[in-house]
Amino acid sequence: MRPQDAPHEIEDVWRLLADRQLELDTRVEIFVLCRTKGRLIACGGLDRKVIKCVAVAPEYSGQSLSLRLGSELIALAAARGQFHLFLYSAPYNRELFQGWGFYPLVEVPRLVLLMENSPVAIQTYCDSLRSKRRAGNPIGCAVLNANPFTLGHRFLLERAAAQCEWMHVFVVQEDASTFSYSERFALVAQGIQGIRRLTLHEGSDYIISRATFPGYFLKDKVVVDHSWAGIDLLLFREHIAPALGITHRFVGTEPLDTITSNYNVDMRNWLRDAPSGAPAISVVEVPRASINGRPISASAVRKLLAEGDFDAIQRLVPPGTLKFLQTKYAAALAAGGVERA
Amino acid sequence: MKITKPAIAGTLESSDLMVKVTPNQNGMLEVVVRSEVIKQFGKQIRRVIDDTLSKLEVSEGTVVVEDKGALDYAIQARVQAAVLRGAGSEKLNWEQLS
Amino acid sequence: MNARRSMLFVPGDNPAMLSTAFVYQPDSVMFDLEDAVSAREKDSARLLVFHALSLPAYRDIEKVVRINRLDSEYGLKDLEAAIRGRADGIRLPKTDSADEIHELESHVDRLEKECGRPVGETKLIAAIESASGVVNALSIATASPRMIAIALAGFDYLVDMQTSRSGGSEPELFYARAALLHAARAARIDAFDVAYGNVDDDEGFLREVQIAKQLGFNGKSLIHPRQVYLLHRAYAPTEKELEHAKKVLAAADAAHRNGKGVVSLDGKMIDPPVIREAEEVLRRADVA
Repeated sequence: MRPQDAPHEIEDVWRLLADRQLELDTRVEIFVLCRTKGRLIACGGLDRKVIKCVAVAPEYSGQSLSLRLGSELIALAAARGQFHLFLYSAPYNRELFQGWGFYPLVEVPRLVLLMENSPVAIQTYCDSLRSKRRAGNPIGCAVLNANPFTLGHRFLLERAAAQCEWMHVFVVQEDASTFSYSERFALVAQGIQGIRRLTLHEGSDYIISRATFPGYFLKDKVVVDHSWAGIDLLLFREHIAPALGITHRFVGTEPLDTITSNYNVDMRNWLRDAPSGAPAISVVEVPRASINGRPISASAVRKLLAEGDFDAIQRLVPPGTLKFLQTKYAAALAAGGVERA
Repeated sequence: MKITKPAIAGTLESSDLMVKVTPNQNGMLEVVVRSEVIKQFGKQIRRVIDDTLSKLEVSEGTVVVEDKGALDYAIQARVQAAVLRGAGSEKLNWEQLS
Repeated sequence: MNARRSMLFVPGDNPAMLSTAFVYQPDSVMFDLEDAVSAREKDSARLLVFHALSLPAYRDIEKVVRINRLDSEYGLKDLEAAIRGRADGIRLPKTDSADEIHELESHVDRLEKECGRPVGETKLIAAIESASGVVNALSIATASPRMIAIALAGFDYLVDMQTSRSGGSEPELFYARAALLHAARAARIDAFDVAYGNVDDDEGFLREVQIAKQLGFNGKSLIHPRQVYLLHRAYAPTEKELEHAKKVLAAADAAHRNGKGVVSLDGKMIDPPVIREAEEVLRRADVA
């Protein structure tokens, strides 16, 4: 059942979830419902590769209905081409979802547990990272959305690489930004030329993805649930950093974007301060490069793009990015400006 | 048979098993089984899976199994179904399936 | 040959049921690849059934597979799985004419040869689910020497007839039942009555069984294991009937041993049909 097709059914779902102290996540694309004699007794939702909003009425909380629901959700996801699935669970439900073939990935103690449906996927991923490990100390890391890649990003990476024996850079893989992942990645690859002792990595489901950090992709960038950021950061600290030997995480100061600046605060908390089996990681905030007193940021570039002000853009981005933007918006240029977003 | 795309078969319900196959980047064959009866029947389950895969001439891939107390015949059937789906194969070679 | 009173439907996509149906000791099991299985699961269920057919537990129970129609994308594949799996019989759904049996038979011939089974070994059952099927019942029943039974499928038939079940004496099923029975008797094969869908209603089920038994149906399609025991008990002969049947068979046996061509009991001549009936009674006595 798709939420938009059946508003009256959504009410039943909302009620069942509320009864189990869960919220209705509006990003769920499709629900599986189980009714008996017209009454909703179980539901589960799918938001691309993440299973959410799973609830079973207490009288039916024995195994078999839940396993039936799990089978249907997994089969539905498969029919939609999603085989690598994630699931958020209250920690006390760990065993229930282990019965669904899910394995714990990372836990914010007592708050939320992220699971995935493979016992080996994270290990396989980390093994592939390990093959790119470099000896030395310190080893740095930065995760960029780079929407698009600017001189600000270049500045950050140059400063970071200068302070480390090696630098690992990841690009956020989700296609949820103005520019697609392949466009952003290509611009980063171009823009880092000349910076030595740096490895560029593809993004993955395990680094700032819809699976590990859905809050990052909220259009409504007001509320950041700190436990969400914890999941993404603990995953980084407990799995990714050890595979590459990362000791320092670099971020730009973020005066303009609230959600990112809050993320930076969370970073210090989860990577460095929070108790964990994995070693602490230092968080280094690099002051933003600025021009005429204004920090260079991708959002500034996007605003200028909307105004069609390529002269101003030229001061903020490397030649590769500029050329790309000009080519991509050539038609609009010819018409005398880009439509305001 | 070659597993060229991810596929699943089976369910999580009692006496059944859920089998997920995915292509393996490293050209290896990796089989992982979870079962409530892994202590008593783990070896047996593993043997049936390996046997079924080898008859289908599957030498590469990742096979993840969530067993819910399935009998051998069901293990054979679900593993075969998942592999056939993952190989995108329509034509059945019955000698490989018996 | 065993009695064929109960044909228990078992969903082909359910491993738990596939491996336990034998416990209820039906006369036949019907592994269903048709209506019980969703389109998404047809391929997987086909393999489950293929393997389930070899389970030792079913060695002595008649195994029938309900395949999808041959004009669907599943039918021929189902048929191949069933025959290679050594099913005893194939149940063809929605059989409307003898031609469909001929078509099925030609495929069965070919498949038996391909997998080395004796040609003619696999039997056929036609499910009749429409007005056309009922009207063609005799030609369907006699369409092939492989035919062992015809079964009336009530739900689809009534939809085709633009009516529905009324409960009670059900005049809406009268003609179909009668036509099927006559066709079966003329062709000397078995006739199965409709499945009873309400598994919680034992009384209603037994009432229907009585009607079927009185009309002369050999047995009934069953959709739930608990119906097996109820049906067998309802079909069981009384003590008196059983006693009489045993006497008849003893007399026939004695005549045979003494080389006499004529069988007599209590001064009366016993014709072959009476002996056959006695054999049937003894088969039905097997309840437990």
